[in-house]
Amino acid sequence: MNPLILLGIPIGLAFGFALQRGRFCMNSAFRDIIVLKEYALLKAVGLAILIQMVAFAALDMAGVITISPLTFFWGANMLGGFVFGIGMVVAGGCASGITYRFGEGMVGAMSAVLGLILVGLMTTMGAFHPLVVALRGATTVTLADGANLTLANIFGIPHYMLAFGIAGVALIVWAIRSMRGKESPKKEEESVSLGTKIFKKGWGWQATAIVIAIIGILAFIASTAAGRSYGLAICGGYWTTIQSLLLGQNLIGWLSVMLLCTILGSFIAAKIAGEAKLRAPAPKVLIQTFFGGCLMGFGAALGGGCNITHILTGVPQLALSSILNGAFIIFGCWTLAYFWFVRPMQNL
Amino acid sequence: MAEEIKPDETLDVRGEICPNPDVKTMVKLKKMEKGQILEVLVDYPLSVERIPGNAEKNGHKVLKVERVDGPNHKIYIEAQGGQK
Repeated sequence: MNPLILLGIPIGLAFGFALQRGRFCMNSAFRDIIVLKEYALLKAVGLAILIQMVAFAALDMAGVITISPLTFFWGANMLGGFVFGIGMVVAGGCASGITYRFGEGMVGAMSAVLGLILVGLMTTMGAFHPLVVALRGATTVTLADGANLTLANIFGIPHYMLAFGIAGVALIVWAIRSMRGKESPKKEEESVSLGTKIFKKGWGWQATAIVIAIIGILAFIASTAAGRSYGLAICGGYWTTIQSLLLGQNLIGWLSVMLLCTILGSFIAAKIAGEAKLRAPAPKVLIQTFFGGCLMGFGAALGGGCNITHILTGVPQLALSSILNGAFIIFGCWTLAYFWFVRPMQNL
Repeated sequence: MAEEIKPDETLDVRGEICPNPDVKTMVKLKKMEKGQILEVLVDYPLSVERIPGNAEKNGHKVLKVERVDGPNHKIYIEAQGGQK
């Protein structure tokens, strides 16, 4: 066992802490644009992606990490992303959302995690595996030299140029928008200590984005040191842990260590804030979240990853697979959220 | 003034998953008469943070957000009424 997998401990603890404090859930981020017209979490996701995009490109140039886009298999990316997106609405949380709420003590999230593990394993190695092999096999596209596709290499643009370019354009658009936008009246700031802001109150979207991005960058470096050239992810951590503990396979690595510590980090954050409590919804809801977790497990195993693997870590690497998969996660999320929440609210 | 708020209706969304506490609160407020007070019992942190802002955005008046214990909160909102 590579002792450097233990670097997953501080990263996981910090990640769990930040997820819980920042309420970082992409299901809420994407769904609530259409359901509640809420944009704070979406901005957090966007900013975290941009910061990592610049940092990954710079670290790749410096030789610290290697940009490692996942394989582009458009059929599996589209179907996997869509099913995952539907699943997270049913489960009431994305992979990071159900993980941090697991740590908080929400039994509905635990039941979703159970579904995600069960059907995820059935898809990576069990009954659904032939479908994965067939669909991926039929729709895989790579460059002529076998390299995985990114927005940069399909156009032959140097990676760093495109990454810095996108971040630069986003920065300019942001600056123009904030100059044009009316000065919003400052809310009266409650005079609270920094300690209270960090440990007791939910974080604002900017702080959440910056902290998550820094953890994502450190995660890529630490994980690379441990022999795994990728950044933050979640689902694979659950699967490898269970495969190792229950199925006798030795797959404990950086990701499984990091994931277990993520749950612990979230518990610690919730405990300090007084938000940790074992609380269960009605049995009907538990069945619903379990079913949602099952869909998420299938989608993530088919499409090559969950929202953290693809949207938080893959999109900043400009991976075409992650951009497509991420778009279909959002599409799946919006499709169900429209029929479940938006339409019924309109019809009141 | 520590005035006791007397709610006209109580909505218990404890244990509910995201985003049901938010959605059910908004739906309930929409159905209430102007001036009626809704008490929301909620234990989901993200909703505790977002319900007051969303209620205000929809024209309702948030009277009080009170922590009961642990993640349990009570939110008192005065409905605007007559929403289309």
